[in-house]
Amino acid sequence: MTKFKMQTYQNLVKDSGGATRENLFSLLGKVQDEFGYVPREVVRDLASRTGLAEARIYGALTSYKDFKVTSQLDNQDERE
Amino acid sequence: MKENKILTRRVGRYQPLDIVAYKALGGLQGLKRALEIGPESIIEEIKKSGLTGRGGAGFPTGLKWASAAKVKQQPKYFICNADEGELGTFKDKVLLDGDPWLVLEGIIIAAYAIGAEQTYIYIKGEYEKTAELWENLVCEAEKANLLGERILGSSFSANLQVVRGRGPYIAGEEFALISSLEARRAMSKLKPPYPTEEGLFGKPTVVNNVETIANVPVILAETAEKYRKLGVEGDTGTRLFSLSGDVKKTGVYELEMGSGTLRELINELGQGTKNGRSIKAVQPGGGTSTLLGRDSLGCKLTSRAIRQAGSGIGTAGVIVYQEDRSAVDILKGLLKFYGAESCGRCAPCRIGVTKMKEIVDTLSRGEAAADDLAQLHEIGKACIVASTCGMGQAFPLPVLSALELFPEDFEAAITKNQKLK
Repeated sequence: MTKFKMQTYQNLVKDSGGATRENLFSLLGKVQDEFGYVPREVVRDLASRTGLAEARIYGALTSYKDFKVTSQLDNQDERE
Repeated sequence: MKENKILTRRVGRYQPLDIVAYKALGGLQGLKRALEIGPESIIEEIKKSGLTGRGGAGFPTGLKWASAAKVKQQPKYFICNADEGELGTFKDKVLLDGDPWLVLEGIIIAAYAIGAEQTYIYIKGEYEKTAELWENLVCEAEKANLLGERILGSSFSANLQVVRGRGPYIAGEEFALISSLEARRAMSKLKPPYPTEEGLFGKPTVVNNVETIANVPVILAETAEKYRKLGVEGDTGTRLFSLSGDVKKTGVYELEMGSGTLRELINELGQGTKNGRSIKAVQPGGGTSTLLGRDSLGCKLTSRAIRQAGSGIGTAGVIVYQEDRSAVDILKGLLKFYGAESCGRCAPCRIGVTKMKEIVDTLSRGEAAADDLAQLHEIGKACIVASTCGMGQAFPLPVLSALELFPEDFEAAITKNQKLK
């Protein structure tokens, strides 16, 4: 897990050949695996790239128990 | 009783990414023949083989393919369902990890037969290493010209996208899986239309289980005629039985259909129950299948025989419960799982599973009243009739059968309550 950087995310999109509705689910998965969560900025960016509403992506995300929408690293910092 | 390794014969015999070794062990013969005979003949072969879905519902594979193939519009999609979530079922993982090229070969043949250029494999979230392996496998396959443009010099091109599931059990259901791939909540929906008409992104889609797909190269390589000789009439081929629960030797056993009985599977291959006690009940087809009592253990391992005994072969996940378990505890465990996994789309399942879980929990605490049993029965019946998808229609089955087979366990739970009063 690495700290969220917009640049790292942009590279993930590039490596997946862009963001489309067809690869949205697996792309969200890659973001989750990389940062340990799917940041709000990413949801916003993916919404504009795919033409879907932000709420539509966020609503789907939060229904899966393996997707997180808050940083797991920050929580750890707080505990320490 | 002996295993008959057809699908699992190469498992563990080569390094998973090594295509040369796979070929040396007889791989790719099915795909070669498939490309020679063309889509229509492939579908005829699959129909003739009698192959049925191994994911639980048992639908004839050839028919499914034929209905997608006859739709002429593009794009079409093929999805390999590797979201193995049913309780007591872990057979697909053996193939995905142990002989991935066989599964991939099957995916390519299926895509070619129905005319799908985009294919997906949706791998259960917990199988993280398996998903990694498959990412690498796709790269190797592209290098070997098994995926990509003009596969093995033919005019057919196809891509495979590896997708990891993210948790929900229901994503293993056809429509819920499709909905998940569309980046929506994993939820089932009413059929028809079936996915072969309106599936992924509204396009014709075939969804097949891993084990089903692994049969395809075998059928093509050996011809349907020869394959049909395996098993019995109406139940051809082999099945991978996942044996778990109170048995000494849990594991996946590949058996020719009809080659033995439930008792033989448990006592010979499974080496009997854990502490030598007698068997109380068995679920022959995963966590949602009807419980069979001791009297049914002589039942042959075919879907027909298991159906006649009152249950279903489902995913062939055989769960064994030994004598010292109370039926109430068995149900408590099952309902804890299904209660958490109902997708919530339809009311009978969403409310029914919660209510049934509550009653069973009250029973197990010894706080239930006598009319709770009647209610448990009634809600179960209602769920079966009114639920949208297979999960809601099936999770009450073990409950209803437990009430019928082991009334003394429930009575004991209620008497305990009355004594407390």
